[in-house]
Amino acid sequence: MTLQPRSSRPVTTSRPRVLAVTGLVAAVLVACSPSAGPSDPADPAPTASTAPAPEAPAVVLPQDIPVRVADDASTAPVPAPARLVVADLDVDMAVIGVGTEADGTMTLPASAADAGWYRFGSAPASPSGTTVLASHVDTRAEGLGPFARLREAQVGTAVSVTDEDGTVHGYTVSSVDRIAKTNVPLDEVFDRDGPPRLVLLTCGGAWDASIGHYEDNVIVTAVPDA
Amino acid sequence: MNARPQARRTMFGALALTAATTLAGLTMIPAAQAAEGDAQLSVLHAVPGLTVDVWVNGERTLDDFTPGSLAGPLELPAGTYSVAITAADAADASSPAIGPVDLSLTGNTNYTAVAHLDASGAPTATLFTNDTSTTPAGDGRLTVRHVAAAPAVDVLAGGTPVITNLANPDEKVLDLPAGTLSVSVAATGTTTPVIGPADVPVTEGVNTIVYAWGSLADGNLALATQTIDGLHASPAGVPAGEVGLADTGSGNGPAMGVAAAASAGVLALGAVLYRRRSGAHADR
Repeated sequence: MTLQPRSSRPVTTSRPRVLAVTGLVAAVLVACSPSAGPSDPADPAPTASTAPAPEAPAVVLPQDIPVRVADDASTAPVPAPARLVVADLDVDMAVIGVGTEADGTMTLPASAADAGWYRFGSAPASPSGTTVLASHVDTRAEGLGPFARLREAQVGTAVSVTDEDGTVHGYTVSSVDRIAKTNVPLDEVFDRDGPPRLVLLTCGGAWDASIGHYEDNVIVTAVPDA
Repeated sequence: MNARPQARRTMFGALALTAATTLAGLTMIPAAQAAEGDAQLSVLHAVPGLTVDVWVNGERTLDDFTPGSLAGPLELPAGTYSVAITAADAADASSPAIGPVDLSLTGNTNYTAVAHLDASGAPTATLFTNDTSTTPAGDGRLTVRHVAAAPAVDVLAGGTPVITNLANPDEKVLDLPAGTLSVSVAATGTTTPVIGPADVPVTEGVNTIVYAWGSLADGNLALATQTIDGLHASPAGVPAGEVGLADTGSGNGPAMGVAAAASAGVLALGAVLYRRRSGAHADR
């Protein structure tokens, strides 16, 4: 008998097809459940047939199948970054966790004095991926912020990020780029699976007053110190 | 895009197996490499009190598989697989406790096969398809599956029902803002927990699958969880400026070349409006 899997749709209640079981063995079950006996199969699958199963394909089955206790959701959270220092640029800022806006763009802290950490992505303590910190290059209330100086970063500039638990992570700048926003490889910037690294992000280039946005992103990439 | 489960990188090759799981000393063909178009299958053992072996196409594939354990994910070519579940260390699959059943797997689809008790307490098996579509920005996904010997339930978050009248072996899928829920399970129409409350994270870009399993009559109802990550989308952009005070115009700065910005790979290799690399010195 063949089980046709029930594919679920979002926000629905679904009833998967129950396998029509055969060959239930009472002996194994009686020891566990005194009331059990040979039982009828559950509701037969609507497409069940009495024909023999099709010949199984000659498939190479995997070895060393990983098995774990089914408590995936119990992973401990990684400490959040709390402070960013780039001494050469006179940057010493608090870091606050941010998410996304309704339009899907990254949320920026209202004050240019704060750096926003994309909290759905990697943190400095994560085993993989890019920690993304972004801040307004300028705001109406404050004028230019510390990240206006990012474009002055040099390869080799030292960066440190301190976690909320006090751990200090040191990085060294490996590249400084200004890229048209339409060409920024966002999946690369917000990568979660590659080697750990740090990206500092703000806006730059030409200001387009008609739309109220800068044309470019300034992107400083830094790699962890050994 | 076929989102990949959490443990995909550990499917083949050297793995950290739990002490309870060793393959029997059969002559196994070396592991196949994952192929594009494969199905992904995890197996959950949700029958209390039975340590079992799981046979696929007549081969013992999981040995000494204990209740509350989750195996996989296995990457398998699309097709039909015959699965039987026997007592642990059975000589063969001729007298299974559950099955044999045929699982029809479609390529590029993510499944969990669950051995569990039906509503009346008899062992059975159900094949679920896992929703691996992209999650909305800022949202995670919560899938709840009733695979317990118990009547229909309500699922409460912070004391408020978010799922009602869920029966064995049904499921419900919700996309929710990322956060932590205090989840309890109660007989439908009531609020007294029969399971929980327990903290369940709704993690951005992750499908957290919660199984209510066990037996109400035997007093061993519990929650098991399986997560599938990688369902997120990157932010649509980073608009980090409000006033134009940092305007440098579209042209090149000193000692910089003008180039059209390239697309993918530009952070490492592409032409950009300016770039400083080791050895370059820019005038201020």
